[in-house]
Amino acid sequence: MKGSMIWNLQRYSSLVILCYLLYVSSFIVLSEGPINFFDWTNFFLSFQTRFFTSVACIFILLHAFIGLWTVGTDYLTERTLGFLNKSLSKIANIIRKTYLFSFVLLGTVYLIVILYIIWL
Amino acid sequence: MFGKKLQVSLYRYNPEEDKFPYMKKYTIDKPERDIMVLDLLHLLKEQDQSVSYRRSCREGVCGSDGMNINGKNGLACITPISSVIKRNKIELRPLPGLPVIRDLVVDMTEFYAQYEKIKPFLQNETTAPEQERLQSPEERDKLDGLYECILCACCSTSCPSFWWNPDKFVGPAALLQAYRFLADSRDLKTEERLDALSDPFSVYRCHGIMNCVNVCPKGLNPNKAIGEIKSMLHKNKKDIIASDRI
Repeated sequence: MKGSMIWNLQRYSSLVILCYLLYVSSFIVLSEGPINFFDWTNFFLSFQTRFFTSVACIFILLHAFIGLWTVGTDYLTERTLGFLNKSLSKIANIIRKTYLFSFVLLGTVYLIVILYIIWL
Repeated sequence: MFGKKLQVSLYRYNPEEDKFPYMKKYTIDKPERDIMVLDLLHLLKEQDQSVSYRRSCREGVCGSDGMNINGKNGLACITPISSVIKRNKIELRPLPGLPVIRDLVVDMTEFYAQYEKIKPFLQNETTAPEQERLQSPEERDKLDGLYECILCACCSTSCPSFWWNPDKFVGPAALLQAYRFLADSRDLKTEERLDALSDPFSVYRCHGIMNCVNVCPKGLNPNKAIGEIKSMLHKNKKDIIASDRI
């Protein structure tokens, strides 16, 4: 993947997250009177909110993954772990791959649970 | 200006004798006038002949004596001690992030490897004119703030991204030079140069913390050059090349 694509994905995903926050905030701000349970449920059961929430969740995961991948490839390398301990340097690649795999696994579980809650 | 004595804490490491590097304290008489850090090192060498450091032109042109002076990278030959001294103490260390050969002398192989990677020479395969390839004054102006780099490595070795990934991230010094050739109207390999920098590490590992700008002894702005390269990578390459040739 090209660097510019990753750079763009991170910026555009943050814009999608901002739009979602504005969408939910505008519901809260523009509601007349106090919001009760039924208003809230109706809002989140509408197709557009379900769709927007799903898209926002995917972009949150994407945004977080790029950030954590950057942190992992900066700080979990042979060189950086070698500063702490030479023996850690030898297993740096395993540590980094485990870290990335755990995040992908957690992210996938998170996404499945979120989509299940939203749509089923 | 100073107290009677000046304390200098110097990074010492001789791999033939020392298991680990250590800081050695020296005390020298207060200089009568403001002197440069390089002069201070000469005074130290009079005390201790084993002190090792690089130096050549002693006027900020060769870039040999880049070092970490009281926590900030700089050229010893153009840094007055009055500008760095703190409580009559000066701490001198080698450039951070590069392997130490001895005392203040570092192994610059990784730094030069990145410089080599960006192909720092004019690439133009068209037939050379009889005298020279001309540029308009406007085209020439684009190179100001780029060609002045002396490759002292002060910027790259103050950059955490270069510390963590010196084999993948090109580093501010080499990226400044990469843009120097991208901005040159006589160079015709813009697309190839951009392709070589388009991976996620070469340019995009710069997070814009601007340490490079803060330490550059020549007052250059590698961060701006990196921003320009990113802009070029984001635009349609063919458009850039077409506009270059108009």
